[in-house]
Amino acid sequence: MAAVYTAPVQALIDELGRLPGIGLKSAQRIAFHLLKLPAADVHRLSAAINDAKARVRFCQRCFNVADGEWCPICLDERRDTRVLCVVEESRDIVALERTGEFRGRYHVLLGAMSPLEGIGPEDLKMKELFARLEPEGVTEVILCTNPNTEGEVTALYIARMLRPFGIRVTRIASGLPVGGDLEYADELTLGRALEGRREFATDPAAP
Amino acid sequence: MIVRHLELVDFRNYAAATFDLHPGITAVVGRNGQGKTNLAEALGYLATTDSFRGAPDDAVIRVGTDEAVVRATVVDGEREQLIELSLSRHGRNRVQVNRQRLQRARDLLGALRVTVFSPDDLAVVKEGPGVRRTFLDRTLTDLAVKYDALRLELDRVVRQRNTLLKQLAGRLDDADTSTLDVWDERLATVGDRFGVARGTLVERLAPMVAEAYAQLAGIGTPVELRYDPPWRDGGLLAALGAARADDVRRATTTVGPHRDELELSVNGMPARLQASQGEQRTLALALRLAAHRLVTERTGSAPVLVLDDVLSELDQQRCTALLHHLPPGQVVITTAGVLPDAAHPDAVLHIAAGAVAG
Ligand SMILES: [Zn+2]
Repeated sequence: MAAVYTAPVQALIDELGRLPGIGLKSAQRIAFHLLKLPAADVHRLSAAINDAKARVRFCQRCFNVADGEWCPICLDERRDTRVLCVVEESRDIVALERTGEFRGRYHVLLGAMSPLEGIGPEDLKMKELFARLEPEGVTEVILCTNPNTEGEVTALYIARMLRPFGIRVTRIASGLPVGGDLEYADELTLGRALEGRREFATDPAAP
Repeated sequence: MIVRHLELVDFRNYAAATFDLHPGITAVVGRNGQGKTNLAEALGYLATTDSFRGAPDDAVIRVGTDEAVVRATVVDGEREQLIELSLSRHGRNRVQVNRQRLQRARDLLGALRVTVFSPDDLAVVKEGPGVRRTFLDRTLTDLAVKYDALRLELDRVVRQRNTLLKQLAGRLDDADTSTLDVWDERLATVGDRFGVARGTLVERLAPMVAEAYAQLAGIGTPVELRYDPPWRDGGLLAALGAARADDVRRATTTVGPHRDELELSVNGMPARLQASQGEQRTLALALRLAAHRLVTERTGSAPVLVLDDVLSELDQQRCTALLHHLPPGQVVITTAGVLPDAAHPDAVLHIAAGAVAG
């Protein structure tokens, strides 16, 4: 396509368009909105992004967002270390915590397998997950990846990798909107989905 | 289902227009280029949120404006709903039911079902397998909206797997094998479900197509539909395994529902290559009519039936037979010429330059 906008505007649209869930049309709309804002508002936004990026870290154990080395959930001694809930993003922890149904710990993959986005298992916190199982005495892994294509495939992959460990592997029950994100599920649905989780067997005939 | 009232704003050549449609047969008459097909297209948009002519959203927003709106009052049994679709050049498309905004445009599916007969239907018989797959999948969505989610999931898995195959660049190490394994497993789960759905649909549709064909042609001719993809016998997972080396080498998914064919035959001969033009046209009509009847039977309510410019394409015998066998329900017939005697419209709308001329 021929360049329609001047280089700086096009660069802004391109950057916005790379954000998750932002298509070309939305990127254009946001870009022109930003350009109309007073300079002070734009600086506040860019400062907030820079500040968050500089100060927020990932928990050394579960990769949840944290202020220090470990996140509040990993620091909480009362949490059950035997049950581990695997999620794609930190925001999924917020959704699951709101249900009040889960008292174990989490592991954040920081994404899901998606060749279209160039994300394979090695780009996710998988090795770190497997390394936690024995030291923490984990007996059950609950796969709480999103009920969409990428989330299902990621769950399948982890389930296969967990086979040699001989621990219980469960998948959050369906009943969640298919193709959705955990983030958008309400507490009640999510609570029920967690309670009704099932044994997750991958096809034993598969290689 | 009945559309009582249709309103268009900046849709194609309509700046602002309203149409009161009869619960029986409404004839829409006007010279070519005045907006008859645009009206049919608008009805189709409310049913599927896209154009049955395959036009992109941008093309249906009136030139010089940024947003098109299609709004209709739909009556289905006891229920009356106001449904609305706004197509935007810059922002997101929005859908509303009873003035409540729905989260995604796709959530509108099922609120209105429309069967469109158009001269382009001939493509279902004459062109490549993709057009026939689309025919089957659209019919499945009319039967139950969940099949649209399944279709989207299939598209997504195939796109992901093809991207992965391209990234492999012809080589497969142990780590890649584990990754490809799970994409295969997911594709097999979704594909097997899809295969069962298409298979059941074709089984139900086949006798209905033969019946519709006989009604339209006036003579009993053996008409067959065959959906028998080779992967279905042993399941898709096994077929993907068998095709793996080939898939890796060609960097694409060579087997699965996205490659399926629906074979059509008339008198035992493949309809695409060996049927006459007249037989092909009759078969195209019979497919639509049968799908319409099946959806009516299974959902308990007839979709709105739109005959867009098809009557002029038919000889008098087939034209009369089609009108004679129209199932009960609301019908909208568009035509540039004189209406055939057998049409008996309950109401006639004259269209000129994107306006109802009274
Ligand atoms: Zn942590």
